[in-house]
Amino acid sequence: MGLIVKTTARATIPLIGIFGAYVVSHGHLTPGGGFQGGATIAGAGILFLIAFGLGEMKRRYNHHLYSALEGLGGLVFLGAAMLGLGVAFFYNTLWHSGPVFNGQPGTLLSAGYLPVMNLVVGLKVFAGLVSAMVAIAAFRRWKE
Amino acid sequence: MSFIAVFIWSFLLWLVLTGGSKGLLWSPEELIAGLIFSGVIALTTKDIIGEKASRFLNPAKWVGFVIYAIGPLFWGMVRANLDVAYRVITGKIKPGIVRVPVELENDTQYTILSNSITLTPGTLTVDACPEEKALYVHWINVTEKEPESSKVIAGSFEKWARRLGR
Repeated sequence: MGLIVKTTARATIPLIGIFGAYVVSHGHLTPGGGFQGGATIAGAGILFLIAFGLGEMKRRYNHHLYSALEGLGGLVFLGAAMLGLGVAFFYNTLWHSGPVFNGQPGTLLSAGYLPVMNLVVGLKVFAGLVSAMVAIAAFRRWKE
Repeated sequence: MSFIAVFIWSFLLWLVLTGGSKGLLWSPEELIAGLIFSGVIALTTKDIIGEKASRFLNPAKWVGFVIYAIGPLFWGMVRANLDVAYRVITGKIKPGIVRVPVELENDTQYTILSNSITLTPGTLTVDACPEEKALYVHWINVTEKEPESSKVIAGSFEKWARRLGR
């Protein structure tokens, strides 16, 4: 892309990232949540891919790292769901008797495992969408 | 240095988004979460924002941006909107793409000037070519086919862009 798009992308990619982090981390308080925020952050990655091109993206993008992050997101989600296994699967034990995330409803550190799950779903969605877009962009040629 | 620039840039947006979590101010947990998330964002995007981005941490520059936004830019937009409304009613247009030579040094200055020209109706930046030091501008009413400077199209915007992006 041209110079104007590149310079604007330099300034806006951190802003898109922090807005996505806001949507993810306030999933239990405001509209949005893991998927919406993760897709927003993935939008920053796709903006980078389109503005700076595939060559630059290939230098920054590490397939193994993104693959590991996506797996980690799924595993932590499962781990949070297992926390209250003494009562039931998905039992919100952090909220009922947990050491953290049991604050006044409406504050950031409330709602038990929901913030944790939102964060890891956001991470998983971000890593998955960016990997999918890079894979599509790196597809070898139009005709096989 | 670019780490600090991204960190402050993203932390400012976080403060704007989460303002009002404790009365009109910020609750401590929101501030700590903001520090963590801004740190992560800054670590991941510090190579993207550019190594000279920290020059925008200068408060004198922020004052300059505010003065530019509510002074020359706003006034230019009002005038250009009225001009375009006049052209819509009367239909007196003479469209064309002209090459405007400019005296700018870096990408930020080109971006500020191009965006200002695009924001004022009637003119639209098509392309910025730093290697030939020129902008290509689509103009609704071409009065000079080969302008000597950006004065006829952008007024004082080039001077401001040179100062703000330095």
